[in-house]
Amino acid sequence: MEMGAVVMVPEGQDLTTVHEAHFDAPAAFENTQPHYSSRMPILGNDVLQSWMERVRKLGVKSLWLASGPRDGTVVRSELARLARSGVERLLVIKLKSYAEMDLADLLRFHCQKRNPVTEAHDARGQLGVSLLDRLALRAIEEKQEFSCDSTEQKRPAYKFNGYAKRIFSASERQELVGDALTGACAMRPLGTEIREHLWVGKGASLADSVRLVGPAYIGARTTVRSGVTIGPFVSVEHDCVVDCGTTVERSTVLPYTYLAPGLLIRQGLVDGEYLENLEWGTVVDMQPAGLGSRIQRSEARKPAFKEVPGDGFPRADVFPLQFAPSSSAAQPWLQVRL
Amino acid sequence: MNAGRSVLPFPCAPTSAGRRALRKDLLSALRVFSGSPVVVDLSGCPTLNHEDIDLLLECIAQVAGRDTQLLVVAGTRGNRVLLEVTRISSLAPVFNSVKEALAYPQNAAEIDTEDQRANQSQAVGSA
Repeated sequence: MEMGAVVMVPEGQDLTTVHEAHFDAPAAFENTQPHYSSRMPILGNDVLQSWMERVRKLGVKSLWLASGPRDGTVVRSELARLARSGVERLLVIKLKSYAEMDLADLLRFHCQKRNPVTEAHDARGQLGVSLLDRLALRAIEEKQEFSCDSTEQKRPAYKFNGYAKRIFSASERQELVGDALTGACAMRPLGTEIREHLWVGKGASLADSVRLVGPAYIGARTTVRSGVTIGPFVSVEHDCVVDCGTTVERSTVLPYTYLAPGLLIRQGLVDGEYLENLEWGTVVDMQPAGLGSRIQRSEARKPAFKEVPGDGFPRADVFPLQFAPSSSAAQPWLQVRL
Repeated sequence: MNAGRSVLPFPCAPTSAGRRALRKDLLSALRVFSGSPVVVDLSGCPTLNHEDIDLLLECIAQVAGRDTQLLVVAGTRGNRVLLEVTRISSLAPVFNSVKEALAYPQNAAEIDTEDQRANQSQAVGSA
């Protein structure tokens, strides 16, 4: 049975490049939860890459990268096209969680139960991973969109008891950072462990007077200036600048962020000029006060994935699979060799 | 206004001329007060820019070394976050509302009295 895989990346995020998209800033900065990009690195790791590795272990040779609405609905016409091209079983992963899931076990469960659709759940609900058989792919042609709502359809769900975190939530994301820094999950910081529980990425620059309190991570090409204190439970991702005397505790600083001198960032998630307080969920714009900003990239990064030349599937540039007309970011689906 | 305590609205004029005038008024008012806490109320400012942060620091400097305590009313959670990030909250007590700020010296006095009582009883016990 030919098996295909689709990874749905929320719309507005670049499919081709790692770590390019930023979070959607809310219109008002008070008590509004922002939507973080699921493509943002976590301790230098790309969650998409981790899912791709799991799919590769399943024996699938290539997958489709697609962009869709943030609620995770997949446009039926695209799935139907995949079915028509010979795919008889489809693994759909919505990039909203990091889960250390054995996809082979999910597949076994799916085959044993003989369900047209199997959705993976943990104690908190859907994880955004589902398996569809040809029957389901045909059935959804009747509907406008495909939604993996097992409560609605009364399908038995695959219960996942392993490690999982939702990466859209700033607080869960911070929990994942803490777990990865302390070895409570399989994710490891991408860098060199210079001391116990202290990792530094390639090309990072640390002044002599910097105080590092583990566990902590400093990403590639990040500059940490004099008198800065980093940690504990901190992730400063790649290409950031933390200016003199600033303290960062129990927080994450996302890529290309500049933090002004003398600040105290505690229990926060900083993305450029925006800071979300993890305790209150309040988002503030620090730029008017000159406290933080987005660092402009010197040049666009090259795409991280190469498209597969035509081999039965429609190529993105020849036969673009467009998104629903309501989608604001119409990007073609991209096929990626694993 | 509460017995002996003054509430000064923080200047949030949209124009720089208006802001300058209000800034002057605020700093003059702070110079006058002595002995009792002064509440600077940011409730009228939905967000703070670098001039606001500068002025707040100037206000704190104005009362530093004198027997006047400056209390800050953040008004919004966003302002409260910015006051923490800039460490202003470690220089002056920050409150959510004017009511809380006005109650603070009384509470603090009560806490001080309780601490003194506890210290006295400990001293008596150890003697």
